[in-house]
Amino acid sequence: MQIIINGVISGLLIAMVAMSFSLVYLPTRVFHIALAGILTAAPFVAMAAMGKSVPAWAAMLLALLVAGTLSVLCELLNHRRLERRRASAGAHMVSSIGIYLILNQAVAILWGNESHVLRSGIEGTFHVGAAVVTQVQGWTVIVSLIVFAGLFAWLRFTNHGLRLRALADNPVEFALLGYSVDRHRLFSFGLSGLVGATAALLMAYDVGFDPHGGLYLLLLGVVAVIIGGRGSFLGPVVAGLLLGVLRAQVVWHLSARWQDVITFLILAGFLYVRPSGICGHASRLEADQ
Amino acid sequence: MNYVLHLLIFASMYVILALSLDLVMGYMGRFNLGHAAFVAVGGYTYALVTVALGWGFIPALVVAVGVAVMLSPLLSLPAWRFKGDLFIMLTLVVQTLVFGVIHNWGEPGQPVGSWRNFTNGPFGIAKIPKPDILGISLDTMGSMAVFSLIVAGVCALIVFRLTHSPWGRLLKCARDDELALRGLGKDVRRLKVQAFAFSCALAAVGGVIYASYVSYIDPKAASLDASILLLCMLCVGGMGNFRGPVIGALVLVLIPEVLRLTPMPSAIAANVRLLAYGLLLVVVVHVRPQGIAGEYRIE
Repeated sequence: MQIIINGVISGLLIAMVAMSFSLVYLPTRVFHIALAGILTAAPFVAMAAMGKSVPAWAAMLLALLVAGTLSVLCELLNHRRLERRRASAGAHMVSSIGIYLILNQAVAILWGNESHVLRSGIEGTFHVGAAVVTQVQGWTVIVSLIVFAGLFAWLRFTNHGLRLRALADNPVEFALLGYSVDRHRLFSFGLSGLVGATAALLMAYDVGFDPHGGLYLLLLGVVAVIIGGRGSFLGPVVAGLLLGVLRAQVVWHLSARWQDVITFLILAGFLYVRPSGICGHASRLEADQ
Repeated sequence: MNYVLHLLIFASMYVILALSLDLVMGYMGRFNLGHAAFVAVGGYTYALVTVALGWGFIPALVVAVGVAVMLSPLLSLPAWRFKGDLFIMLTLVVQTLVFGVIHNWGEPGQPVGSWRNFTNGPFGIAKIPKPDILGISLDTMGSMAVFSLIVAGVCALIVFRLTHSPWGRLLKCARDDELALRGLGKDVRRLKVQAFAFSCALAAVGGVIYASYVSYIDPKAASLDASILLLCMLCVGGMGNFRGPVIGALVLVLIPEVLRLTPMPSAIAANVRLLAYGLLLVVVVHVRPQGIAGEYRIE
């Protein structure tokens, strides 16, 4: 029971990262690797702010703001200009890798290569049935459920969410109907930065952070996106939860050091057997891209 | 003087690696983030064969290349079906698998190369002997530099001949229009297997040079950062032809040396270097998408 609860909670974090990745990936088809740099930067910003005796909630807010701004800047300074020139998906990805390197190394230069933990001291725990849950884990559940509920309500019930889904579906026709592709892209980049940074901050509170953890977290999210099915916003959440539970089982039954290998083997298995993912519609790959 | 020789050895190694990656990325147009895994496979095989079995350089090199070729279907079989983002994810799978196996197949206290402690885990393999060819021991910097230059020359010649042959034109065709190539009755699947086999074999040669020169190898050789470095070389230098990767490898080997001239605390030198690589990538994609001397724009 304890293992499953731990798995679900880390799964919620993976799902949140996956969600933030697909918020950019679906509407714009940009492989947003720079998000890894943002995931790295957010906890460090919060830590620096708290070091200057800013209250914790304000530091969190500041970190979220910085993350959102960074993500928006990625689009404004990089992807929008590339898109104007009709650059290929590869060019977007390579420049995004470049931004990731810049952000990551800037963080490492500013704040050093050591790992840190945001919380101080031992935190309180409470019992759920037979399992013990720490306060941070409790917060993770609450915050991520709010985030998911908010995102899905927004995507499903508001006009703006509908437009974003339309953009994901067919950008050319979306522009023909007179909507601003630029503005909606900007919005999805910003939102993606916010959601990703939320996950990164929760993670930093729970297990700590260092300048090299961002890419790892992002890759887990990308795996969840692909397993869940590209093209659906719900798939990544399901797959993220599944991955979290499975990874916790691997730690229990095998060893923590094999969990990455197992994760990526699951990905390979999915790609071979069902490349469209859990929630995707089966389609021929050659026709896809 | 030794410093120049050291640079020369690293430059020739990276030229080999960049050229081998160019075969699949520039000529065949498949984005590959798993190349460093094969460099590590080559280096580790060489290290294990020489340290644990005590073999000479040439047989060890042959074994290393053979193992890399045998493992190359890990990349080429996915390439049969997958393209674009999904293929990139599958190269990442290979990367993680190789890294995971190298990093985890170890147990302190057991002899290196035994079943329980095959790769010595995160500690890596030390005391790898210098190459010894036909009785000539290459234990000085000068001889090692000459040797690595010769090997790089041979590898470059192989790549040059391959890419300027009908086979090389087939590769470019598979990149530009795979369906047309299949329509012409060419066996695209076999072509992919061959291209990845060559690419991985050359990567293993680069890995052998690295392991034998540094005489130490650890799992970092198979890390994603190493693959990203190779990717930088191709993107900066350019791909799809012979000059591009060579120029890219030379530029990226020289950048840290130029940075060394600036006053900078050594603790952050590695970070500044990677930062410079990142900047370079972004600038190149914006200002000159085909790289300094490339022919083909990344797809």
